[in-house]
Amino acid sequence: MTATRLLLAALAKAAAPSDADAVARLLGFERRLEAAYAAALARDAIDPALGRRLLGHEHEHVRGLEQALGDLGRRGPRATAPASTVGIDFAGRRAFAASAVQLERQAVDAYVDALTSFRDDHLVQPLASIMACGAQHEVALREVLGIRLV
Amino acid sequence: MSPRFTRRGVLGGAAALALASCGGGDPAPAGGGRAGSGAATLSSIVALEHAAVAAWATIGDRLTGDAAGSARAIRGRQAEHANELSKLVRAAGVAPPSARAASSYAPSFPRLTSAADALHFARDLQERLVRAYFEGLVVLHDAGQRRAIAEIGAAQAEDLAVVHSLAGDPAAPQAFVTGTS
Repeated sequence: MTATRLLLAALAKAAAPSDADAVARLLGFERRLEAAYAAALARDAIDPALGRRLLGHEHEHVRGLEQALGDLGRRGPRATAPASTVGIDFAGRRAFAASAVQLERQAVDAYVDALTSFRDDHLVQPLASIMACGAQHEVALREVLGIRLV
Repeated sequence: MSPRFTRRGVLGGAAALALASCGGGDPAPAGGGRAGSGAATLSSIVALEHAAVAAWATIGDRLTGDAAGSARAIRGRQAEHANELSKLVRAAGVAPPSARAASSYAPSFPRLTSAADALHFARDLQERLVRAYFEGLVVLHDAGQRRAIAEIGAAQAEDLAVVHSLAGDPAAPQAFVTGTS
């Protein structure tokens, strides 16, 4: 391998986000989902049983990602205030479900991006298991919308 | 104490055994590509997907109405996944495994006598698929292969959620979806 190729490889590695950066980004998505379901429950914009279940999952995802960040040697950004719910439609249950489906899809896409280049093998499956839960949340929300599930 | 064998447990065990015998446990293909190419891992998943296509046809035969339509749609998705992954195997320089005749898979599937049996089998099948994709993520290193595996793994989890829903259960019952092997 030439010196130029070695240099390019080193530059590419330096330019790629670190595992900790990737987890911090995912934590941002999960906190926004957590805030969204909490607000939807407070405003009766989601069926209470469904909302409590999805919110409970988001609590666990946030806790898991915070722990993952710690394992990677970085303290998670402190959540001093609830994540923003700007742009989320709480006008009714269908409106919220439509908004939440989009949020969940963005999060799943972010997990796919992260898993494509993630280096720490020990965290790959836990991250994938959270991604899979997000994909299942989409199905639960599509049920609310009466959209064909497959 | 003697172990308890529930009908659901027997069906689940049968699903794992059936898939292992139908492709999931196939050895790496001969001439499996250069070391680290991912061809062997991807080929194993392609073989599993071929078995899943046949399994979903069997599952669909026991369902009616919307559930049967969902089974057809999921079967079609599994076939697409097999095609997509087969392209990746070819790109790694190896011929992907071909689907066998449906009749060769059928004898190893559990006997399904009702829609409930079919949905139990479907759930275990989808759990097994989710697991296979997540295990693949750990051993593959090519970014393109990993992206495909992650995307399809998420799609498998969606299909598992649909099965939960068809069975009358919450679509997303747990916070961490790990699949079962």
